[in-house]
Amino acid sequence: MLRHSVWLLSGILALGLLASAFAQTPAPSRGGTLVVAISADPPGWDPTASTSQEIPRVVYGNVFEGLVRFDRHGEIVPALATTWSVSSDNLTWTFTLREDVSFHDGTPFGVDDVLAKFERARDPDSGHVNQQYYAAIEDVSAPDASTIVFTLSQPNRSLLYNLARPDSIIYPAGSAGTQRAQPVGTGPFRFARYVEGSEVRLERFEDYWNPELPYLESVTFRIIGDPNTRLAALQAGDIDLIGAAVPPEQVQLIDAAPDLKTYAGTATTEITVAMNNARPPFDDIRVRQAITHAIDKHAIVEGAFFGQGTVIGTHMTPAEPYYIDLTDTYPYDPERARALLAEAGYAEGLSFDFELPEPYPFERRTGEVIAQQLREVGIDVNLSVVEWGTWIQRIFLGADYDMTIIGHSEPRDINIYANPDYYYQYGNLRIAELLAEAEAAPSAAEEIAAYQEIARIIADDAVNVWVFSPANTVAAREGLYGVWIDQPTPAIDVTEVYWAR
Amino acid sequence: MAAFFVKRLLTALVSIVLASAVVFAAVLAIPGDPAAIILGVTASPDALSALRTQLGLDVPAPQRYLQWLAGLVRGDLGTSLQYERAVRALVADRVPLSVALAVGAALLATLLAVPVGVFTALRRGTLLDPLVVLASQVGAAVPSFWLGLLLILVFSVELRLLPAGGFPGWEAGALAAWRALLLPVLALGLGQAAVMVRMTRAALLDVLGQDYVRTARAKGLGATSVVWKHALRNAMVTLVTILGLSLTNVFIGSIIIEQVFALPGLGRLALSAIGNRDFPLVQGVVLLYASTIVLLSFLVDLSYGWLDPRIRYA
Repeated sequence: MLRHSVWLLSGILALGLLASAFAQTPAPSRGGTLVVAISADPPGWDPTASTSQEIPRVVYGNVFEGLVRFDRHGEIVPALATTWSVSSDNLTWTFTLREDVSFHDGTPFGVDDVLAKFERARDPDSGHVNQQYYAAIEDVSAPDASTIVFTLSQPNRSLLYNLARPDSIIYPAGSAGTQRAQPVGTGPFRFARYVEGSEVRLERFEDYWNPELPYLESVTFRIIGDPNTRLAALQAGDIDLIGAAVPPEQVQLIDAAPDLKTYAGTATTEITVAMNNARPPFDDIRVRQAITHAIDKHAIVEGAFFGQGTVIGTHMTPAEPYYIDLTDTYPYDPERARALLAEAGYAEGLSFDFELPEPYPFERRTGEVIAQQLREVGIDVNLSVVEWGTWIQRIFLGADYDMTIIGHSEPRDINIYANPDYYYQYGNLRIAELLAEAEAAPSAAEEIAAYQEIARIIADDAVNVWVFSPANTVAAREGLYGVWIDQPTPAIDVTEVYWAR
Repeated sequence: MAAFFVKRLLTALVSIVLASAVVFAAVLAIPGDPAAIILGVTASPDALSALRTQLGLDVPAPQRYLQWLAGLVRGDLGTSLQYERAVRALVADRVPLSVALAVGAALLATLLAVPVGVFTALRRGTLLDPLVVLASQVGAAVPSFWLGLLLILVFSVELRLLPAGGFPGWEAGALAAWRALLLPVLALGLGQAAVMVRMTRAALLDVLGQDYVRTARAKGLGATSVVWKHALRNAMVTLVTILGLSLTNVFIGSIIIEQVFALPGLGRLALSAIGNRDFPLVQGVVLLYASTIVLLSFLVDLSYGWLDPRIRYA
């Protein structure tokens, strides 16, 4: 009885909190402009021509839309399709298209654009990236002017998820050649002006299919590479929003300003210490276990990141639906690390190179702490910083390295552990089987179970050290509402952003 | 004179072509594939090779360089791989800002440094002299990017007088543009001024110790006339050399300042081009930098003959 009362009480409290939260959020109002900071010029603006995360950060949901999309919580919601259904054998997916949608150039959106998109997405010569997302699609057809049918060769549980990704956005048929420089989509904002190295300006699209949105008249994304300059621009009132990855040491400074506020959200980034599993000494699982035991992840998050992150134990973040906490697999235990190293024949210690990617301060900082922690168990780490182009070429594509560290920010990317050519040089056939099982799973529970099994295998094998998932910290001016705090996919979606009147 | 002019011009052209060849080789030598950078880390090998072909990267490097040289002769600098725009247009967009920044900083440095340098040279032995020397020492030691951050903190964050970086574009009007450029010009110019104060002071002290200055004084000429007509005029050759060097310095220094103030100038264009292995763009920007530096030293050389008739060109 008492228990019931407690639940009831907390329920009432929660409702009260919710109500007061609503009371504090003013009703959306139209008008105004917004200036947002981004950190780099992307390689063109077409998310289907490059996997650079800088592209969707600006255009996802703002300029481009697909059949479905992620909302701010990571739920898949309708976009250019209003409804969809799947056949009982999970092999036929039918989507009903939204009517009266037009592209920014005035041409109407229709089935031809969808057909052309998925033809490109499956044509190896088209330059469309991430074609593996569409591998299970055998045929795409349009039985009438507002219906699209996907026929699959095998059940594909992640189809809907993949259709919500930035890779699956739809633009006018035949416009692929010009989208990198002049993006044209169906989103609430049209691409107005890009000054390389300076800013990109989006303006309200008057014919957007949802007449309520967007609230803002225009949005300017200012390109400011230096985090200190970004902070100064925010403090000086030049910009209104830093939409992602505010460094933890800036949070207190920003919160101290009366007109600024930070919000801590989640992201799908795993800060990963990657090891070359094919190369000695990392081909010995005891060495990989020892390295995991030697790293005090909590000390890193508390000491170097002001506690703004979640310690993880496998290639998964709490922001993903199949998350499982495996941080106890090989917990921090320097004694055990030394013993395992001795067992592996490195009682006298060992030495290898640890290369940090130049453009990523979180990774560099984490790497520096880890090098120190490894030295404490007798591992002599040669730290060096590598420039980004070199990192991609030699380490990522060439797998010519000992140890490196990088944030893997793509959601649902555990499939990389099935690929023996991936730069970890791991590749496990059992994982490929489990991935296939997950895709063909008759229920969501069985799908999740298969993913969690993969997560366990790679954690047990100590393939890499998954250190933590950094909080996604957003900094905004007071009076700004509707900003995405979590990053279920890399995006600064400003569709529902407004200024309080 | 004409022969000298032609000879210098040819040397200049050869220097520029050599610089472009060195840069081409250097960019090739560092690992990194522009196609991989454009497509991102999850690109498939098929997509990579398709893009390489599309970008013309499957052509052997020496042939690519020759193609680039042939284009240069026609005035065509090629197309940027990252931005898919003509390199000439991209560079042309950035030139006004970088020139304004460099010329502004050099002008500020000169206008500040020459009077102060002259003044302290004349006050040698007084308390003021070591103070200015100390100040210029400190000024020369402070890195420009740090000074830039400090200026932003004071004038943008605290006082909210000036923007903390970024550039509204020239079309926003001269006032808005110069408001954005004021702090970068200060950050770049002050350090340069500090160096120039010391050089001006040293050059003038050197001249003031010469016999003809003593003679001029002995003739009973006023101090103003001695300093400005006799001494400074003869110190000019050194000063112009310093000015030429400082223009080169601020031009190079602007690369860092553009980064700190998020200014869309040539320096940031060059950095992003190198990061993205955007070969044609790197070549185009470096060509411009090399030409500017060669041109500046050429002008400095020419001015010697005008300033000091004893320097004859044969």
